[in-house]
Amino acid sequence: MSLFVTAAVLMMMAFALLGPVSARLAQSSWVTRAPRSAVVLWQSIGLSAIASGIGAGLAVAVSRYHAGFAPGMRELVIGLVGGHPLLGLGLPDALGLTLAADLLIVLFVVFGSLMARTIRSRARHRRLLNLLARESPQYPGTELIEDIRPVAYCLPGRRPRIVMSDGALQLLSSHEARAVIGHEQGHAQEHHGLVMLPMLGLQKLFAWVPYARLAPVEIASLLEMSADDYSSRRNDPHHLAAALVLMATSGHVPSCSLGATGAAIPIRVERLLHASRNSKRTALATGFIAGAVISAPLALMFLT
Amino acid sequence: MNRLGELERKVMDVLWGSAKTPLAGREVADQLPDRAYTTVLTILDRLRRKGLVTRTTVGRSHRFAASDTRESYMAELMIEAMGDSGDRGAVLVRFAESVSSDEAQVLRRALDDVTNDGEHHR
Repeated sequence: MSLFVTAAVLMMMAFALLGPVSARLAQSSWVTRAPRSAVVLWQSIGLSAIASGIGAGLAVAVSRYHAGFAPGMRELVIGLVGGHPLLGLGLPDALGLTLAADLLIVLFVVFGSLMARTIRSRARHRRLLNLLARESPQYPGTELIEDIRPVAYCLPGRRPRIVMSDGALQLLSSHEARAVIGHEQGHAQEHHGLVMLPMLGLQKLFAWVPYARLAPVEIASLLEMSADDYSSRRNDPHHLAAALVLMATSGHVPSCSLGATGAAIPIRVERLLHASRNSKRTALATGFIAGAVISAPLALMFLT
Repeated sequence: MNRLGELERKVMDVLWGSAKTPLAGREVADQLPDRAYTTVLTILDRLRRKGLVTRTTVGRSHRFAASDTRESYMAELMIEAMGDSGDRGAVLVRFAESVSSDEAQVLRRALDDVTNDGEHHR
């Protein structure tokens, strides 16, 4: 019976992580003092919820062995390998296995197709850049596109591309441009494209799950702060703050659909203007919580 | 950018430069004096398979034209770069989103407070 309790607790944990815990974290302000650890925390919440869901299914499935989770799993695997996995399978066992298998399949299909789509659209953008962008003579490693609207971005990939428009270069002093390039190099060096890869598209698909709605936006703005930090270790943060204000207020119409990310600009400027923007203690504590979040379902499974 | 990409771009520039008049492979090659004729033909064929170039056949000779103007590719690039496509997949991270004009004022003032203390100003 106790495995059913384990399963129930695991399920509750998955719901709590994807719901109230995510909502709470999205409203916390301390995350801006340790953006990189906060990203890890968001990731471990997602992984832990997935592990809990699959674990709950497995716990139900192995309950018929009356041997606890780990020995039960061994019996189940032996049964599967031995080719008679359905021998003596009752209704709860079947339901449990179905839940675990369904979760795995949905995850593979959904994430696989979402990531494939993102990778394809990145490749298309790369081809456009190949045709249209020119290497900057002034800033090696940066490509220029001819447009008066000021933009600067990093296209993720095995070889990330850092792109600026003529408009951005006209708007910024050379110090500010260097600070912006440093920010984009931060995205490239810290592989932020990979971090975002499983997050993109989640919002639309699972809008009813708070985690899926919040995590992509929150992680995106935390990564911006992390890239700000990267640039600030190499350039004067005031130049970056100035560039941020200039670019954000350069006059083209704000895109309302992305209001959530636009709100991060004042916070980022605020951070850059203060020397104590990061706290080692917050980072350490956040990392500790992330570790606890990820090990909780595993501990629960293997201790029963 | 790799050498092949560089060459593709040069060939496209030639085609875009000739406005709407399709060019023969020889005419394209003439504008790229440091490239062999056969290389240019290979590139034109690659670009055609990618859908960037269209080929028309007049009698026994082929003529090549860009499938679309440089401006329309540029527009597509900028739509993605500005994050207006609704698909944030390609360009992960634009440096700065736009803020409202109220926020803009607050930001400028905050920045002035700091920069007025000395060191840097434009």
